[in-house]
Amino acid sequence: MRRYASLIALCIGLVFNPAQAEQLPQRWVSAGGALSEWIVELGAESRLVGVDTTSQHPQSLKALPSIGYQRQLSAEGVLSLRPDVLVGTEEMGPPPVLAQIRGAKVRVELFSSQADLEAVHGNLKHLGELLGKPEQAEQRFVDYRQQLDALKAKVKAVQASAGAPGVILLVGHAGAKPMIAGKGTAGDWLIEQAGGRNLATNDGYKNFSTETLAALNPEVVVVSDRALTGDAALQALIKENPALAASRAVREKRLIDLDPTLLVGGLGPRLPASLQALAQAFYPAAKAQLAP
Amino acid sequence: MLQVSDLQVIRGHKTVLDGVSLDVAPGQVLGVLGPNGAGKSTLLGALCGELSAHRGRVLLHERPLADWPGQERAQRLAVLPQASSLGFAFRVEEVVGMGRLPHRTGQVRDREIVTAALQAADALHLAERSYLALSGGERQRVHLARVLAQLWPGEAGRTLLLDEPTSALDPLHQHTTLQAVRGFADRGAAVLVILHDLNLAARYCDRILLLENGRPYAFDTPEQVLQPGALKAVFGLDVLVQRHPERGHPLIIAR
Amino acid sequence: MTRLVSPRTLFIALGLLCLLAVWLSLALGPVSLPLIDTLRVGLRLLGLPVNGDGLEQAELILGQIRLPRTLLGLAVGAVLALAGVAMQGLFRNPLADPGLVGVSSGAALGAAIAIVGSTWVGGVPEVFAPYLLSLCAFLGGLGVTALVYRLGSKEGQTSVATMLLAGIALTALASSAVGLFTYLADDATLRTLTFWNLGSLNGASYQRLWPLVLVATGVALWLPRRAEALNALLLGESEARHLGFEVEKLKRELVFCTALGVGAAVAAAGLIGFIGLVVPHLVRLLAGPDHRVLLPASLLAGASLLLFADLIARLALAPAELPIGIVTAFIGAPFFLYLLLRGRA
Repeated sequence: MRRYASLIALCIGLVFNPAQAEQLPQRWVSAGGALSEWIVELGAESRLVGVDTTSQHPQSLKALPSIGYQRQLSAEGVLSLRPDVLVGTEEMGPPPVLAQIRGAKVRVELFSSQADLEAVHGNLKHLGELLGKPEQAEQRFVDYRQQLDALKAKVKAVQASAGAPGVILLVGHAGAKPMIAGKGTAGDWLIEQAGGRNLATNDGYKNFSTETLAALNPEVVVVSDRALTGDAALQALIKENPALAASRAVREKRLIDLDPTLLVGGLGPRLPASLQALAQAFYPAAKAQLAP
Repeated sequence: MLQVSDLQVIRGHKTVLDGVSLDVAPGQVLGVLGPNGAGKSTLLGALCGELSAHRGRVLLHERPLADWPGQERAQRLAVLPQASSLGFAFRVEEVVGMGRLPHRTGQVRDREIVTAALQAADALHLAERSYLALSGGERQRVHLARVLAQLWPGEAGRTLLLDEPTSALDPLHQHTTLQAVRGFADRGAAVLVILHDLNLAARYCDRILLLENGRPYAFDTPEQVLQPGALKAVFGLDVLVQRHPERGHPLIIAR
Repeated sequence: MTRLVSPRTLFIALGLLCLLAVWLSLALGPVSLPLIDTLRVGLRLLGLPVNGDGLEQAELILGQIRLPRTLLGLAVGAVLALAGVAMQGLFRNPLADPGLVGVSSGAALGAAIAIVGSTWVGGVPEVFAPYLLSLCAFLGGLGVTALVYRLGSKEGQTSVATMLLAGIALTALASSAVGLFTYLADDATLRTLTFWNLGSLNGASYQRLWPLVLVATGVALWLPRRAEALNALLLGESEARHLGFEVEKLKRELVFCTALGVGAAVAAAGLIGFIGLVVPHLVRLLAGPDHRVLLPASLLAGASLLLFADLIARLALAPAELPIGIVTAFIGAPFFLYLLLRGRA
């Protein structure tokens, strides 16, 4: 009897396991920059057959077919890539197109774009299931959290001797029309994690006049420019907004540039490194202490 | 035919026309003369229903003008305005053909009428041309052909109102136009024409209404109305009135 | 002066062009379907008993994605072109455009209120969202046009010149209001608003299609019946009256048709420009200003042109998609400049 039972169990096992592997989607289309990065982090870059315009890291993704802006997807466009799954955040759309894609028996999996660790955990778990690598995903999250916790601990230690600097994060385009990152934004989360004090009082991203910005008198300004990078971005900001020249940050030359793709689509794997750089900029005296 | 009794028209706060009574009788050409601002165009406006009368009545075939449904009125009453602002490249024969819109006479008959009307207005040679390519005078003749087509053949029961139809025309066409109008009247139509040329009025009109400041100064045959005293009083012009050597109608000569 | 083409030739040519546009719109797309599959699905959709094995994807692509999109394109192109003819007749000016009576800016304002407003309210149940947007755009278009009409009318008489000025003023006001909403919107909402302003036939579905198709059919059946009246109106309002037409009623109908038609088109597909301006112009160049020819021909030409533009929108950057308003602007603006220069020569 037992032999029959184990034989049946073996047969069932053989029948179901290959089927399980088949259920895992092989052809992935990603509509979200951070998601694409996590997929690559989990070693599944080869499964990506198409990405949206916000998926720019790593550079190799740019060679993939582009499905356009994540809020204006084309049903036929996505379907022409013959995907097994379309992954994206709740920002993905428009809804009728998603319905059409679902109607074509393509899985549409939604992830969170919220800027907090629980969202990252949930996303990684979900990705792990879809990729058939649940343990790897969990481990990756543990590592991620460890990195962030380690940084937090170091920042706290440094904060004991030096106060948290007043910081504002500006998102601009070639220096013009900077928007300030307020409460609840990814920018806000970044500042806080890196040990700064966000001086902005508004919610979300808002346009502020440069006089108001200058009046906030931040000690550090984080510049996230969509058109320029590095030093060019910093120069452009000062050039387009001369009123800022009076603020402490500019006078003491405490301007840092930040990759704007880190601010959209949820928290991604490149964050710990960027946070490191931010923290070191916030506490220049403690650079060595904050080193990884 | 059109009957007007005790017409008063007020525009804004000004009484533009007052105490005008006349009838446009079949077979007759009634000319309306007067200096600028005398109320000639206002009279025309009231007669065709564009302007409403403050007092008095306008009757078309003994029915108040306002009571006529649009299409039936258009079959009996046609108006040629002073200027046209048509800005699209219709063919001339299409423009004239629009005169047949109130009627339901069919394409074949309409085409015959359009040809005949163009002939009468001396514009047949322009039939295939684009309206926009014509000179001012040619355009005026095209519109004349249009209103003629609207009332063709101009028998009793049709009324034609014309507002200065000769203003942009050369001397020859001033006469051919009024001859066409005269021909219409001879076939029984009732015609009212506003003119500014005294001699043309004298030659082609059966009766003349002379307006001054919105009031009728005189309403009679050309011989009676076109007198030096009246013309001096209304126009401020010193004139000599003689008889036309061949035709016998009054000939007004400025002194 | 001879017309470039006779009406008969024009209708045959345009009819064939329209059929070609429909065919290409159904047969081409980012997903390449074998011709035989397209034909088989087409026959099945017509109800013929054809074997359906292996055709699921083709049926989905054709039946659920391309066919509703083609129908949407036909309806939008046709109604925008007809509205263009109506406005050029109303204002007696070949440079007139449906936007002059404020319907486009009103619809944009309605859409802005829906898009930005729904984020303020904390989000709308997703099932309502697309309907809400369309409804607000439609009502916005109708509302502003009604206001323009009222401002231009006094004691039953409508002054076209006053309406024009009122349209300009209200368009400016609506645009500023949209600007305000744009300022108050957050980044993501702003993008949605921007894309809506650029127009798209994306995401067409049968449920959202039928109101527009109803309206477009109504306008397409009604306007050609007023062809003679429109011809007479071109002579001038008094002249048209003297020819027996009820001019005030006609003007009201023209404004109403435009508001309804363009409002529904904008509600379904966002702002798509130049069709109303360029298509009637083009047809007039070929076959003259007689509305008995102009109206049906513009309907066919507008529908065809929009479908061709949509082809470009779908294929140029596949698998991504260009907003169709950009394509029509790219085609329309240079063409319009060419017309202006040619007219001066």
